[in-house]
Amino acid sequence: MDHTLEKILTRVQKPGRYVGGEYNAVQKDKTKIDCRFALCFPDTYEIGMSNFGMRILYGVMNEMEGVWCERVFAPWGDMEDELRQTGLPLYALESGDPIAAFDLIGFSMGYEMAYTNVLNMLDLAGLPVRADQRPDLTPLVVAGGTSMYNPEPLAPFVDIVSLGEGEDVTVEMIQLYRTAKAEGWSKDRFLHQAAQIPGLYVPSLYDITYQDDGRIAAITPRNGVPKTVTKRLVTDLDRSYYPVKTIVPSTEITQDRVTLELFRGCIRGCRFCQAGFVYRPVRNRSQELLTQQGIQACQDSGYQDMTLMSLSSSDYPDLLPLCDGLLDWCQPHKVNLALPSLRADNFSMNLMEKLQRGGRKSGLTFAPEAGSQRLRDAINKNVTEEDLLNSCRTAFAGGWNSVKLYFMLGLPTETDEDVLGIADLANKVYQVWRNSASNRSRGVRITVSTSCFVPKSHTPFQWEAQNTQEEYLRKVTLLRENLRNRSITYNWHDPETSFLEAVLSRGDRRIADVIEQAWQHGAKFDSWSEYFNLQTWLDAFQHCGLDPAFYANRVRDKEEILPWKTISDGVKESFLWKERETAYAGLITPDCRVKCSGCGANKLCQGGVCHV
Amino acid sequence: MSDQRILFVKEATAKYISHLDLMHTMERAFLRAGIAIRHTAGFHPHPYVSIPLPLPLGFSSQCEILEFGLVSGSTIQDLPEQMNQVLPLGIRILDCYDGGLPFRKLAFVRYNITIEFDGDLALSGEKAFQDLTSRESFIVEKRSKKAKSGFTQVDIIPLIQAVESIAPKGDTLHLTLLLKAQNPGLNPEVLLQGFRKEYPMLPILYSAYHRQEILDEALQIYR
Repeated sequence: MDHTLEKILTRVQKPGRYVGGEYNAVQKDKTKIDCRFALCFPDTYEIGMSNFGMRILYGVMNEMEGVWCERVFAPWGDMEDELRQTGLPLYALESGDPIAAFDLIGFSMGYEMAYTNVLNMLDLAGLPVRADQRPDLTPLVVAGGTSMYNPEPLAPFVDIVSLGEGEDVTVEMIQLYRTAKAEGWSKDRFLHQAAQIPGLYVPSLYDITYQDDGRIAAITPRNGVPKTVTKRLVTDLDRSYYPVKTIVPSTEITQDRVTLELFRGCIRGCRFCQAGFVYRPVRNRSQELLTQQGIQACQDSGYQDMTLMSLSSSDYPDLLPLCDGLLDWCQPHKVNLALPSLRADNFSMNLMEKLQRGGRKSGLTFAPEAGSQRLRDAINKNVTEEDLLNSCRTAFAGGWNSVKLYFMLGLPTETDEDVLGIADLANKVYQVWRNSASNRSRGVRITVSTSCFVPKSHTPFQWEAQNTQEEYLRKVTLLRENLRNRSITYNWHDPETSFLEAVLSRGDRRIADVIEQAWQHGAKFDSWSEYFNLQTWLDAFQHCGLDPAFYANRVRDKEEILPWKTISDGVKESFLWKERETAYAGLITPDCRVKCSGCGANKLCQGGVCHV
Repeated sequence: MSDQRILFVKEATAKYISHLDLMHTMERAFLRAGIAIRHTAGFHPHPYVSIPLPLPLGFSSQCEILEFGLVSGSTIQDLPEQMNQVLPLGIRILDCYDGGLPFRKLAFVRYNITIEFDGDLALSGEKAFQDLTSRESFIVEKRSKKAKSGFTQVDIIPLIQAVESIAPKGDTLHLTLLLKAQNPGLNPEVLLQGFRKEYPMLPILYSAYHRQEILDEALQIYR
């Protein structure tokens, strides 16, 4: 280990995050490598190592001969100060080599609040943050992940955006890069070629013009560059890569367990949910394979906890047999099985008993999202009050005594009546507990949490205005005054981060200047309350002559050219608009298994047929 | 069947694995190696692993001991090799054996300490150390969880069993010290903190600590 680094590590918190050397971390012989990839996660080690996508891409790339993929995470403030003071550049965990000398630097972008960390990490690596200041082919800066469905705010900083699931397109991009490197292509030539690979968006090849009122006038692709870039996806999950052998961190991380991915996509189509649209269509992994992978992953890692992951686990068709199969192995081996993301509607006693058999009785969490049936219908969250209360009844009778209920405030069409509906629902849950608790003397803890709705791109609500912070806080007060029960705790998410998230998630390319300005004035780790400071951002907006409310609190009309117009997830814009109108009519759209609603994502599958 | 122990090295990147994380790492390694170990009795059974003398974060060691109980199937002869295949970088098992002296018999630790001064100060550092360790008493302030103030006064001289060698070279001083292990023991970092306070004219840039051996009351190797 570098001696300077060793000195630094005596002075920082949790130095284990900065050294690598974990079980299953991949070491390769540098002399046999012609492409080095720095897989960066713009947050701490604990968060980044918990990201399943990172583990997949790490495995996929390291299976390629001649390619070495290494991990890089954002150093916490104390470590950053030390790196800057000693002049040690940002390095990759496996080799300890500075990443500026790598071939490709790829960022996994899960959420908007990590944007400033991308700039900070490039800067710590000793690289200019803007793509046009990096004239050479290497290092190329690439970004992918869910928040890249609107890549515009990051556009000037990255060379290529990878859309959708990265298993295949990353390999294709690396192959093209190796050709370019071997033949000595210019960066420009490479980028033009890369833009021809489906799923790769090269922002610098699109010119954006604006109207006087700030709306986009036109998005013009340069010669020969595709007008629309459609996301990539894996059609057969049973044949896709699953990291059975995966890194086991030697220090505790946020999600320190085996993760089994049941399926991708979601049949439900909740209108506020970006993931529910951008991961379409639904693709299941077979139950037999999952059981086998889960057991193998536990054996290889030594983990004693396993979690089933998906957008809505109770919609997995073979959930009961899968749980049976896993529990048959897990219980004698003392492995806990956790099953998050259950819907309140088909939460069965049977399943609950099974899980109880397998582990502790932790709290239950339901997300009705809205307080009234009318609003739940408008957002297409097809959970009825009856479903929820029945689920709670079963849970309380089974001995649970803690329930968390998650809601959003500021959903489109919301009225004060809907807000009060939350209080009403919470009180009904309390009454259910009184009537059905197996042991009332233990009391009950009902936690109501609200967050401020953030409209996202590629959803039916992408045209909507976010509630102003004042309006959100007014609703919070209204709700708080109507939640007077000692057994009910009310937590509300602060609206400042939601406001910035709303700006960044639907921002255009001009927002990049704001991000850079905010970062230069100290913004980083914006998803961490330790660091987040809205004033830094407001100052940056003012400096750049932009109004954040234009992005967060404005209703767009149907004709407006949205900044992410170039980016397609396979779902037609006309479908989203129709869904928006259906929302205003207070009508629900049946899930994909009941009836195909014709969103267009089926075209992404072979033969144009979804297998939901 | 009595419990077993492993003797292992903890060095390089593994220096930064904390005591608690090390216990988890070891538990998982046993599972990865397919070695069944004894679980504690009680309502929440968990794998029994115990380390008599936790190694402070950032220290390296060639003489760490962990106690556990083999259930069946595995033999102690094969265990080091099986485990070494599934451990993270920097942890290496040297030996596995039955039984061993009770933990309370662990009395002394031999530390190799490397001190880098800010400048060519190793010779002055040597003198200062000799001076400090030959005093009648040397009181240092130590962090304490029990004391209300969060600090407690400790005389560390009785906790230094022997200064076995001092080797100055340029800006670096190599020390080998034999320190009390427990009840109470002395963490060499505490000694160095005291040194820094006492000799501000000898600024230390970096110090590294390595556990070379653990000994019983009769100064015999403890296993």
